[in-house]
Amino acid sequence: MELKVSKKATMATTKKKNSKKEKPENTKEIPKNTEEKKNTKKEGKDNKNLQKNKKEKKIRSSLQKIKLRDVEEEEKAPKNSKEYTEGGDSEHTSGDEVHVNAGGVSSNGTIVARAGSDANTSANDDEDNSYHSAEESDSSEDEVAPRNTVGEVPLEFYRDEEHIGYDVTGKKIKKKERKDQLERFLSSVDDKKSWRRFVDEYNDEEVELTKDEIKMIRRIMKGKTPHAEADPYAPYVDWFDWEGKGHPLSNAPEPKRRFIPSKSEAKKISKYVRAIREGRITFDKPKEKPRFYLLWGDDSSSSEKTRGLSYIPPPKAKLPGHEEAYNPSLEFIPTQEEINSYQLMYEEDRPKFIPTRYTSLRSVPAYDNFLRERFARCLDLYLCPRVRKKRLNIDPESLKTKLPEPKDLKPYPTTCYIEYKGHTDAVVTISTESSGQWIASGSTDGTVRVWEVATGRCVRVWEVGSDIRHVAWNPLPHQPILAVSVDQDVLILDTGLGSEEQQGKIRDLLRMEKPTAESGEAAIVSWLPDDKLGGLRLKHFKSVTSIEWHRRGDYLSAVIPAGESRAIMIHQLSKKGSQRIPFKLHGLPVSTAFHPSRSIFFISTKKNVRVYDLLKEKLIKRLDTNLREVSCIAVHPGGDNMIVGTREGKLCWFDMDLSSTPYKVLKAHSKDITNVAFHRSYPLFASCSEDGKAYVFHGMVYSDLNKNPLIVPLRILQEQKGKGVLDCKFHPRQPWLFTAGSDSVIKLYCH
Amino acid sequence: MPKHYRPAGKKKEGNAAKYVTRSQAVKGLQVTLPLFRKMCIWKGIFPRDPKKKIKGNHQTYYHTKDISFLHHDPLVDIHRDIRAQDKKIKKAYSKKNKPRAVRLEEHKPTYNLDRLIIERYPRFIDALGDLDDCLTMVHLFAALPTLQNEKVEVKHIHSCRRLSHEWQAYISRTHKLRKTFISVKGIYYQADVDGQKITWIAPHSIQQVLTEDVDFNVMLTFLEYYETLLAFVNFKLYHSINVKYPPMLDPRLEALAADLYALSRYIASRSKEQDNHELASQVDESQLTLAQLQHQLAPSEPGALMHLIEEAETVDEADEETKECRSLFKDTKFFLGREVPREPLLFVITAFGGTISWEGDGAPFEESDPSITHQIVDRPTQNHMFLSRAYIQPQWVFDSVNARIILPTEDYVVGRVPPPHLSPFVDNEAEGYIPDYAQKIKQLQDAARIMPVPEVGNEHQDNTQNIVLDGVADRIEANKAAEMKKKMSAGQKQFHDELKMEVEGVSPATGTIKNVKVTTDPDESDKEQISEHPDMSEMTMSRRKRGLYESIRINKERKKAKVDVIESRKRNIKESQK
Repeated sequence: MELKVSKKATMATTKKKNSKKEKPENTKEIPKNTEEKKNTKKEGKDNKNLQKNKKEKKIRSSLQKIKLRDVEEEEKAPKNSKEYTEGGDSEHTSGDEVHVNAGGVSSNGTIVARAGSDANTSANDDEDNSYHSAEESDSSEDEVAPRNTVGEVPLEFYRDEEHIGYDVTGKKIKKKERKDQLERFLSSVDDKKSWRRFVDEYNDEEVELTKDEIKMIRRIMKGKTPHAEADPYAPYVDWFDWEGKGHPLSNAPEPKRRFIPSKSEAKKISKYVRAIREGRITFDKPKEKPRFYLLWGDDSSSSEKTRGLSYIPPPKAKLPGHEEAYNPSLEFIPTQEEINSYQLMYEEDRPKFIPTRYTSLRSVPAYDNFLRERFARCLDLYLCPRVRKKRLNIDPESLKTKLPEPKDLKPYPTTCYIEYKGHTDAVVTISTESSGQWIASGSTDGTVRVWEVATGRCVRVWEVGSDIRHVAWNPLPHQPILAVSVDQDVLILDTGLGSEEQQGKIRDLLRMEKPTAESGEAAIVSWLPDDKLGGLRLKHFKSVTSIEWHRRGDYLSAVIPAGESRAIMIHQLSKKGSQRIPFKLHGLPVSTAFHPSRSIFFISTKKNVRVYDLLKEKLIKRLDTNLREVSCIAVHPGGDNMIVGTREGKLCWFDMDLSSTPYKVLKAHSKDITNVAFHRSYPLFASCSEDGKAYVFHGMVYSDLNKNPLIVPLRILQEQKGKGVLDCKFHPRQPWLFTAGSDSVIKLYCH
Repeated sequence: MPKHYRPAGKKKEGNAAKYVTRSQAVKGLQVTLPLFRKMCIWKGIFPRDPKKKIKGNHQTYYHTKDISFLHHDPLVDIHRDIRAQDKKIKKAYSKKNKPRAVRLEEHKPTYNLDRLIIERYPRFIDALGDLDDCLTMVHLFAALPTLQNEKVEVKHIHSCRRLSHEWQAYISRTHKLRKTFISVKGIYYQADVDGQKITWIAPHSIQQVLTEDVDFNVMLTFLEYYETLLAFVNFKLYHSINVKYPPMLDPRLEALAADLYALSRYIASRSKEQDNHELASQVDESQLTLAQLQHQLAPSEPGALMHLIEEAETVDEADEETKECRSLFKDTKFFLGREVPREPLLFVITAFGGTISWEGDGAPFEESDPSITHQIVDRPTQNHMFLSRAYIQPQWVFDSVNARIILPTEDYVVGRVPPPHLSPFVDNEAEGYIPDYAQKIKQLQDAARIMPVPEVGNEHQDNTQNIVLDGVADRIEANKAAEMKKKMSAGQKQFHDELKMEVEGVSPATGTIKNVKVTTDPDESDKEQISEHPDMSEMTMSRRKRGLYESIRINKERKKAKVDVIESRKRNIKESQK
């Protein structure tokens, strides 16, 4: 067995050897053909191998191509050559050593055993020598001549002869004297190396194997490569790959059998299949892996979520409260009445869980709905659309806007000091005299009264009859005249409150000889002296809802919300004449206002407020409330701001410099706002409504244009419930507010 | 180009392209509805709410990305294969080809859900956060009757029971249980694992009834997923405490239905072993057979659990709360009566560091053991009583655990109606109503904090309790005195105010002038303003904010109404008792 293996090995190596022998020869030829002869010679040994590489390439391609590539090759050369020589070296040595191993055994003539003297030298030296020789001349075996030249002749033939064969020269090789058995045994006992020694019958000499050689033999016996460092599984280099090279190794077409399923194989397979089916062939069961393993290894590497869409985790189930305990405290258990009352509720509103009490744990029964509840939860988990909803966890106080403290904004009206009683029906309208000494009020009982503010004394009463819509004091302090709108008429009354001199002037002003009948205007307004009440009566064609004095006290505007073009009339007291406004109105007018300092006129319709320049007779601005119905307007004494009250209880503050939309909308009242008012000097304004409340606000307008007005609600002045407040007016000097209620009382609120 | 016009070839966009209805999805995936449902459950896909519902309000909408996510899952293909195989099997049976049918059945394609779990929960924390439903479901199925021919296979029930015990064993071993609550529905537990609060309900140990109106297909699909999830979670948790998973149990204890006890013993021994191994040479753990294990732990060894606790103390990574939980029942030894539900108590008491035994086979120690401090009994009367121990009802354990102090046992004595059981999940202050017993517990807790109970032997237990109670009584008295004082001072102030009013408040009323209101006290007017102020600032809010404010207010009112109802009931009860 041992012999066989070694023989095979030697055969293999010799073959290699032969092929290698040829290669260098070929390489020698190639340089002759090429022009790089000198270069290759200079580079010496290594270059020979390089040449070998080149040669192979030349086989594949034409000579011309090589010429072109040469420069590149040279650059690559050092690397390639090194690798190659290393490989080559090992092969050479292996070759040599194998010869030694098998020296006496193989009958191959070319293989020659090493001389006895060589064998004694150390292995390392041997190798070195061998490779030098190998490098110098490729046929290293030639130098060590085989001693015996008998070749294939069996050695038995020489058994009885004196010699064992013939050397190169043809002389007989004499047999050496043999030690006898005993001697051999004794020497073997003494010598530890004796087991490594054997007799080479062929050459008739004793050979001793070195340790390395023994190792090599062992490796071969195990079926491994003789050298540990040789890699049998080196990556395969397909030198004969022709793909892309243009020339296949063989141009023969693929044989047909390669495309046809093999019948014999099919037979075999069907046999196996049958056997497997019938259970004649059984397989080993696959090894069972542990069902569970460490699924989450190191969490730090994994990202938050791998999925593209945002994952919405299901909401956690509600945690139980005290009432769900098996033994809740008594107050959590509903009484029988309450349980009965649940029956009256809608099914959705009915409580899902009715607490019950068990006095001990053993008496608690199984919960019937458990399975059903879990099922409902399962359905929720996979059937309910999930939406991420932001849970607001905010302090409700933080929602409120930061406003200055009302007590820092004093003075403002807070408490009711005086009630003016005398009217017998709802007080519709009030007006303060410009000095602040008097107020006038009109009521649905048909009377107009003038009160002294400080004492609450009723100074004068006029029985006007029919419904009074509006009263307005003349703004001039020396002209205590009162304008009252009664149904279709506007009365201008002399109150008789001024000094004698003033009285005379007023009498002159109100004196009228005969009714003026101007063409055109006469149909609309007719001026008549009213003897009964001692003033003027301006007859309109329809009822007048609102009147407003100009700041100079000469002009008076009246709103008649019926006629298209005649809806607003402007009367001039000094000339006793009336005129229409020269603007087209859009919709029914609600109220009007004069600008406190300039000749600007405000007209509010139900939807919006229009601002006109009276001198230029054109529209300046249109203010949109975006609310349903405007009920009243008031202009800030500065003239750039105004408030608009609406019938849905909202209050709009317009900053006319800022925009045509409200700067702020305050939802104050729950019912219609009946009137709004600005204070003439204090930064205050008020609104009153049919819900029985009057609000007082702080409304500061800064002279700095960059600063927005500051609006702070200050106070709710609560009237009697259910009775609306129909009018409110500020005292012209003091921060006091008059309100007129439908309970026929006028109230004064002071600070 | 008008908005509604889309040129030919241009894809849909917006909600129409993003969302599909369920029937569209099923059609697109080419699966049956049951399979679609199954896949949705397993992959955790849920319908979404598009802003614009193209196909109408009554449809459910899925996101197209979700659907394509389903579409790419290999499970869909496997299920198609299974369906095909089923058809083949049916055909084989109907052709009387039984061997083929059997063979085909053997080679049915199989699947597992491991991949889905890591896909749905890339981090372990995510899995823990989503474990509530899983645990409740597993505990429910563990309590279902193991009957053949029912809709639920017995193997599911067994595996659920095993999984739930494994989970409980881990929780009690690592002392991670925080809150417990016996409700009518079952027993709520809350544990804190890796900072995740996990709450689950275990039904009462009475067998559940299978109802007809439940679709078990859906339930079982969920269960299949949950079983896998919980097993992997358990594996990870056991791995974190160096215990092999799945645990091998003492068959004797298992047979006695003391699984939980067996498991905790196993864990204890295992982690101990692990330490030993680390110190000594590494022995391959798998070589340890069940027999060896049994040999190592003689079943009658009473100290096994004690070892467990001692050992746990060496773990230094535990946080404050865990330490507190671990040492709650450190000096107490429990014995359970036959009628007491064993599993929940075994779980809770060991989780809080107590030693426990029970009446029956496999118990670590006998009823006559003199070192027992508490015997838990749930019967009207107890015949034979040891004087050295307290006889209490099971609720005492749960209340003590929630309060984190050892409560006095007087109220829980056998035969008495125990005090009301309170939910630990309710924040009484936020709710606005504090039950009486909660106040009492609070006082006891404060007392315990002020005067920590000295660690004394069992025989001194009663003494210490008395001391605690005395302390509490003192505290209560002190509180009362303080209250009285406050009332007195308030009364005095009122009196002074009235006097002041009388002195200053008189004002002349002449003619029609009428003093409606006189504000003499500046404080009072300020108060009034403050009370009015909120209403005023509400006016200046924007509409959105006002709505929000309004809804908060309404919610508060609703809450208050509920509290009012409870309080009125309480008043009625008190009156009727008088």
